[in-house]
Amino acid sequence: MNGQSPPVRTRRQEIARTWMRAVYPTAYVPMSPTEIELYLLDLVDVIADAIQAEPFSVDPVEVVGDRLVEAHFTGPETLRRTVDVLGRALLFIPELQDVPQLAEKVVAILGSVSTSFATSMRLDAFDQQEAVKRALLEANRRTERVLKASEAQFSEVFDTSAFGIAITNLRGECVRANGALAEMTGLDHAALAGLRLIELFDPADVEAMVATYRAVGEGRVERVREQRRLLRDDGEPVWVHLAVSLLRDEDGAPAYHVTMVEDISELHLLQKNLDFQLLHDSLTGLSNRQRFITRLESLHSASRHGITLYCLDLDAFSVVNNGLGHAVGDRLLTEVGRRLEALVADEQALVARIGGDEFAILIDNSPDTPTVPEMVERISAAVEQPMVGGVALSASIGVVDRPPSGSDAADVLRAAGATLQRAKAKGKRQWLPYDRHVDQAFRERQSRAARMPGAVAGGEVEVEYQPVLDLAGRQQLGHIARLRWDELGHDDCLDLAEATGVSLALGQWALHEAAGDAASSDSLGLLYFELSPMQSRDEDLVRTVKRTLDDTGLPASRLRIFLDTRAMLDGDGEDNAQVLRDNGIEVGLTRFNGGQAELSLLGELPVDSLVLDPSVVRRLAEQPEAFLHDAMSRMVSLIRSSGVSVVVPDLSTADREAWWAQVEVDAAFGDHLAPPRPAYDLL
Amino acid sequence: MAEQVSWVPDNVDTRLPSAARLYDYLLGGGHNFAADRALAEKFLLAQPNARTIARLNRAFLRRAVLHLADAGVRQFLDLGSGIPTVGNVHEIAQKAAPESRVVYVDYEDVAVAHSRMILEHDDRSAVLQEDMTDPDAVLAGVSRTGLIDFSEPVGVLTVGVFHFVPPERDPAGVVAAYRDAVVPGSYLALSQFTADLQPDEMAGIVAVMRNSANPMYPRGHAEITALFEGFDLVEPGVVPLPLWHPEDGSVDEDADRAGIFAGVGRKK
Ligand SMILES: C[S@@+](CC[C@H](N)C(=O)[O-])C[C@H]1O[C@@H](n2cnc3c(N)ncnc32)[C@H](O)[C@@H]1O
Repeated sequence: MNGQSPPVRTRRQEIARTWMRAVYPTAYVPMSPTEIELYLLDLVDVIADAIQAEPFSVDPVEVVGDRLVEAHFTGPETLRRTVDVLGRALLFIPELQDVPQLAEKVVAILGSVSTSFATSMRLDAFDQQEAVKRALLEANRRTERVLKASEAQFSEVFDTSAFGIAITNLRGECVRANGALAEMTGLDHAALAGLRLIELFDPADVEAMVATYRAVGEGRVERVREQRRLLRDDGEPVWVHLAVSLLRDEDGAPAYHVTMVEDISELHLLQKNLDFQLLHDSLTGLSNRQRFITRLESLHSASRHGITLYCLDLDAFSVVNNGLGHAVGDRLLTEVGRRLEALVADEQALVARIGGDEFAILIDNSPDTPTVPEMVERISAAVEQPMVGGVALSASIGVVDRPPSGSDAADVLRAAGATLQRAKAKGKRQWLPYDRHVDQAFRERQSRAARMPGAVAGGEVEVEYQPVLDLAGRQQLGHIARLRWDELGHDDCLDLAEATGVSLALGQWALHEAAGDAASSDSLGLLYFELSPMQSRDEDLVRTVKRTLDDTGLPASRLRIFLDTRAMLDGDGEDNAQVLRDNGIEVGLTRFNGGQAELSLLGELPVDSLVLDPSVVRRLAEQPEAFLHDAMSRMVSLIRSSGVSVVVPDLSTADREAWWAQVEVDAAFGDHLAPPRPAYDLL
Repeated sequence: MAEQVSWVPDNVDTRLPSAARLYDYLLGGGHNFAADRALAEKFLLAQPNARTIARLNRAFLRRAVLHLADAGVRQFLDLGSGIPTVGNVHEIAQKAAPESRVVYVDYEDVAVAHSRMILEHDDRSAVLQEDMTDPDAVLAGVSRTGLIDFSEPVGVLTVGVFHFVPPERDPAGVVAAYRDAVVPGSYLALSQFTADLQPDEMAGIVAVMRNSANPMYPRGHAEITALFEGFDLVEPGVVPLPLWHPEDGSVDEDADRAGIFAGVGRKK
């Protein structure tokens, strides 16, 4: 804690301040704002240190809930706001940027904070209860003279207590019960009087309760505390904490039982709700991706007859969503979720919403589970039944049936996703099984990689041009060069080229092609060109670029070179940016994913634009609006305010376009806006 | 009831709501009945900001006590002290200066019973069950506690109370009686509801409280300032709650919706 560098300290203080401001209005805490901030700063330290600790454990943060309750941060909104503030801050704070699996850890940490908060609230309530009981026992013990006053005092306490209190005789009949108990059970005082208290409890708990009363009555234990269910008058169960103790008469003989009852159902709900929120999709109530992967993992390794995974995507959902509005879209998604759940009600199965309009069904097969084609048929039928407003949807489905044990859960999900993509490529309402030969795909990639150098040399790889648009006015700013090799797109080509060591050659060739095409076509406008990592680091880069411009006659002002962000971080090609710039060529960064180190690059390099990493864009598209979106929109405005423009790649839907447009990025490209086209199409 | 337990008489009417329990509820306390909560809900309808106002009032009480402790005051008379909750006067004062002594006065049964319980083991604090608009009775009771030395400055606190004092009880006269009982250099901290800030909401509150055990009487800025007759008002004078000596780094609060004026004066 003491070894923190000054910037780390400052950021933690900022979090403590934001936290203070968020919870200050939620509860009266007798401290000054500065004192509160310091109090919370300690807790921020505990949390931030825990997230970074190896091995990771949530245990250290248990004190956080206790400390909050201790200081009386106990308003109805306090916990929610705490989770909110911390969730955002932790995902965004620079010192944690490089922590592996940060999001998962943050979720785990917040879960633990919530649980300890709820537990502390309960114990705190118990302390109050003890005080009440003290007054009560006191009242019983006092002498005749003091008795009167004490009785009055007891009565106050008894009647005003927020806890239900019942005094029962040794036969278990209620001789007195207070208003709180009446309220909790929904019975009035008169109905409670004479009632056997035990009848108020869930039948399943009765036996244990009888034992409890006997143990206390016989003096074997002083008092018992336990958690039980009361049944309300209307049959609703109420979770309660009980404390049972014994009152003795003057001679010390057992006379009455005192039962204190605390309604913890609200806490229960809150706690359950929080766990629920962290693991479920807020719109449909289905499991979210996170929980799905966890369950997939455990089922996959434990399954006796193997698992089957169905990934489905609603065809043209964005059209519906845009045409009918988001409210309708939301209702459709909810309805689809409900139907899918109904569909597998008889199976050991889990349905999740794993992306915008992507659902997944995980089935732990039994001998009676329908076959895959039958299941697919049922899923399609369920989705195609008309819904609100008469809309009928269809789905594309990718299936992974009984993946070999030992394969990793994330891989299985990825395989299902890939299969789904292939199914979608075939058109609407298609399904495909994952071809079992996982190796085959892998081998295919290997053989492709082997063929790559030949393909480059043999002219099989082509350069295409995709329009770059300004989202606000839909104005065309220029074109970005994209590689294509048969059905392999730009990113795949680059990956393969990088892996096989031909990326430098490929990149130089592609730059030459593109510059030539741009020079001969003014309508192509500004040429955006992304360099591979290897190219970005190349010592000869500047010379290559200059020679290309000379050869093709493309003016430097029509070229924008994007250096690979990670290559720049490694530090090798830093000069390239400056020298290109000195030669009148605008320079940007590409595959920028917003890490702290990357952000600081913006200050160090003379760049005036950047292209975000496609995987970041995809991740945002897959997740419901949440921290990540918020973080991204703040990051974009931060970057733009420093004079660097932001380009979004791979815009896939109108939905996403709208979101990015409201974040006010400068430009975007993607198949949704306009697909890449070969040069002859443009000329 | 089958078997009446002799030591448990029924003497509190749980059906008549009280201001003390209403305030306790608004602050998140648990010492209130269904009738109080029902009244609180109506109160909240009339003044949706009521929980915040309760919190701001309690926070003013804390800042005022700290200010007085800072000025060297070591004895406090808390008139209309309410049901003990977080940040009670003796806790604040004794944290600032452990030798501080506090006498609490309230006329409400629950408030007094609970105060007694928490003060059981504190020999520097006491609670009196009296009507604070009867200064003779209160002052006589205070003398009997032996906790307050009237030749030394006293901090007289009437926080969130005067709006329960009807005009016919002569509020100015009540304050004057306490003022005359203490030496120069003593302090008065006072806060009370006003219609100056949000007239409609205030009218709603008055209507809601009319038939409770504690009807309410808002007062204007001039009238409240006049209660400080014989005191020098500490800057910035009589102001909405959050504007009285806000602390460093404090959260912006909406003064226009604070409902209550507050001030602190030092006896000339
Ligand atoms: C709103 S509470 C204020 C509690 C505390 N002073 C605070 O500001 O946090 C008002 C209290 O004044 C008490 N009260 C009202 N009129 C009173 C009177 N005439 N004599 C004594 N107490 C009174 C009520 O019973 C109630 O407990």
